[in-house]
Amino acid sequence: MDKKIRVLLAKPGLDGHDRGIKVIAAALRDAGMEVIYTGLRQTPQMIVDAAIQEDVDAIGVSILSGAHMTLFPAILDVLKEKNASDIILFGGGIIPDDDKAELEKMGVAKVFTPGAPTEEAISFLRDAMKSKKSDENIM
Amino acid sequence: MKNKYGAKNPKSWLLRFHTQTAGCSLTAQQPENNIVRTAIQALSGVLGGTQSLHTNSMDETLALPSEKAALIALRTQQVIAYETGVANTVDPLGGSYFVEAMTDKMEAEAEKYFDEIDKRGGVLQCIEDGFFQKELARSAYQHQMELEKKERVIVGVNDFILEDEKIDIPVLKIDKNVERDQSAFCKKIKAERDNDKVKETLAMLRDAAKSDGNTFEAMMECARAYVSVGEMCDVLREEWGEYSETQAAMSAS
Repeated sequence: MDKKIRVLLAKPGLDGHDRGIKVIAAALRDAGMEVIYTGLRQTPQMIVDAAIQEDVDAIGVSILSGAHMTLFPAILDVLKEKNASDIILFGGGIIPDDDKAELEKMGVAKVFTPGAPTEEAISFLRDAMKSKKSDENIM
Repeated sequence: MKNKYGAKNPKSWLLRFHTQTAGCSLTAQQPENNIVRTAIQALSGVLGGTQSLHTNSMDETLALPSEKAALIALRTQQVIAYETGVANTVDPLGGSYFVEAMTDKMEAEAEKYFDEIDKRGGVLQCIEDGFFQKELARSAYQHQMELEKKERVIVGVNDFILEDEKIDIPVLKIDKNVERDQSAFCKKIKAERDNDKVKETLAMLRDAAKSDGNTFEAMMECARAYVSVGEMCDVLREEWGEYSETQAAMSAS
């Protein structure tokens, strides 16, 4: 049997809106993934440290504070700094379309916006893991 | 309050409440519909006798509210207050069989929760154990699943969708200079204020936090001395520690 997909979910910055991330946590778990949730008010450093410690395949962050253009790049930078850029970074929240495009160009694998069905996040992670594995096999 | 907790001040016996319309009911799709949702929710708040009301802006699923969206949210309250007449009567729905029956049902369900909370050792214990968070997460997940299975219709999200919809309301962009300006402003204030007074009022706050004193009074003094909210919270964090959600709260549903 395939190894379970391990995902770290985190709320960075001063943003207490945690309804969405908990729905995602429950949905990923029900889809058979292992989910670790950091809780509120995490710094990019804390999130990446936790992701490395927990040896996860992906990090999902939820940002509804408007600070996404600061926090996503900061997490990407720390990932790079720690040689952990193989961890997939995805996220969601109140993110305007223009910013979403820019974030995905920067290296955020996928940004989900309000109304996205949980099934989308589940299949995104499954597909991303499949292509990650085939990359590794080639190497 | 009187019978269970022995409150002596008659003011403490009153139920005064604030209502905020439901952020989680707003949709990013067809965002103008959110004005209608918010109006109906605000009206229910007023019909229920709320003393204070906040109406959400239609664009809160897209960004921080624009000036215009915030103004419409205010106008929604004003239409309810000045044009509908519902505020002329204390309890406009009093005596409606259906509404009274729903109120009784809600009361009974609330009583069940109160019993459950008592059984679990009270409110503080429930916070420690993540009981409330778990209940909230469970109901949010259930809501989402109903929506995805289409057992619950959300207009513009899982039904009544138009092909190739484009959002054409203005979305607020925050200027990147805001952060720089605010940070410069804070530095200026901190350099110019009376820093002895700052130490003094923060010490007051610490004493109040350590004892059973009134922290609010001390915070007012801090504010008068231009102590920042962050500096006040640092003191409270040092004395009381910080809430961190237990993993228990995550094992929802």
